[in-house]
Amino acid sequence: MSGTWICSQLPCSGVPTDDLNPRCKAYFTSQDWGQQNVENTQSETKSRGTDAWTAPSGRRTDEWSECLVLIAEKHDRAAYTRLFRHFAPLIKAFALSGSALSATHADELVQEVMLKIWQKAGAFNPEKAAASTWVYTIARNCRTDMFRRLQKFDTPLAAEDFSQDQDDEEPFSQLQSRRSAERIKSMMGNLPSDQTQILAKVYMEGKSHAEAAAELDLPLGTVKSRVRLAVQKLQVQFERTRATD
Amino acid sequence: MPKYRPDLDILIEYAAGTLPLAQAACVTAHLNYCEDSAKTVQQLQAVGTALFESLDPEPVGDALLNRVLGRLDEEPPLSYDSYQGDAQNLELKSDNEGVIEMDATPSLLRRLMDGNFSDLPWKRITDSLRTTRIKTGDPNYEFSLLHIKAGGEIPHHDHHGSEMTLVLQGGFTDGEGEYHAGDFIYKTSEDVHAPRAFDDEDCICLAVLDAPLKFTGWKYRWMNPFLRLQAG
Repeated sequence: MSGTWICSQLPCSGVPTDDLNPRCKAYFTSQDWGQQNVENTQSETKSRGTDAWTAPSGRRTDEWSECLVLIAEKHDRAAYTRLFRHFAPLIKAFALSGSALSATHADELVQEVMLKIWQKAGAFNPEKAAASTWVYTIARNCRTDMFRRLQKFDTPLAAEDFSQDQDDEEPFSQLQSRRSAERIKSMMGNLPSDQTQILAKVYMEGKSHAEAAAELDLPLGTVKSRVRLAVQKLQVQFERTRATD
Repeated sequence: MPKYRPDLDILIEYAAGTLPLAQAACVTAHLNYCEDSAKTVQQLQAVGTALFESLDPEPVGDALLNRVLGRLDEEPPLSYDSYQGDAQNLELKSDNEGVIEMDATPSLLRRLMDGNFSDLPWKRITDSLRTTRIKTGDPNYEFSLLHIKAGGEIPHHDHHGSEMTLVLQGGFTDGEGEYHAGDFIYKTSEDVHAPRAFDDEDCICLAVLDAPLKFTGWKYRWMNPFLRLQAG
């Protein structure tokens, strides 16, 4: 087995400008930084200036990121309602994946996640992540906590305590991670169905590898290698432990 | 940058949120040291996001929307403020040597320890090994710190189950490698090893076990009945 593999750097297609929704853009009155960044897609990696916000290029300017900024800055309930109509059905689907939770608990999870989005919108940084990543992370954490509550864990830790702090991340690596997220998303559709299925079990249904193996009636090793293969096809960067070189 | 990192399998379960609580805490602590692993986890979360976005939406009625809108003015729970633990003054007076630095200790760990290393109830196992159990609330895994004196050894042992180890300070060798702060080692039941701390510094490790260690050497075998797993 080869020791190390690192994904090749794919050329990035830049920002999908048609993601921009004029409804949301209309709310930008003071600084129209959303617009500015769409135009400026080539590889500048300057950080914020003092006078104007010259965010790194390639920053996502999708509707949902802009809604989150509006919620944080203006407590905009209209933006929140749009966000709700888009994400609440996804959160509910996530809650119900693999019958992980009952319908009642699923509704409870939707409320909990959506409320948290409102309360924590100020912590959302559109330079660091897409809105969907941010929402997904909250949903995953809340679901993990709900599982633990239902199993009567007595723990001082909430799932969000496990998130690493990346506030000090440099603009260049922020740009890179946003690009790799875009790349992963665009490649997802090309995976063979058995690999998509196993990834969905692990991520959406929240099954451990062992649980997935039991459900699919496959050896644990097969499940592990199928998941690994899928993840590698998506060019997730992973360097094997150097010791095994 | 640590040389020994968790396998991709472990990072995937971590990113998907399915790794058991105690193990996830250990991986989180490792990520504090390891940019490579952190980057992998970030991309693995992007995989989750892509799957999340492609779910078939489940209809959510206006009743739920209105209920949430009605709750928007509630005070958020205090726990939303990021934890600002007492990062200062965290140091451990070791038995007879100097002070063990705590600055680099991952914040999640500091939070679990709820205070100074020196406040923890250390339990002597051998002349050169002490341990203390930390409560995580995970009913299936024991989460503990090991303090190995400089040059000291943990007797030969194997594992009924799995053992995750993260070096927090100093380091050790076990015949297979040399491990330094931030290195992550995962052993399963087949592996027998006898870690030995470096000669020049005490070693502090975090260990997550799902079954008690079993000493294999004749000299310490008598202790096995006392090494009960203390999960929780």
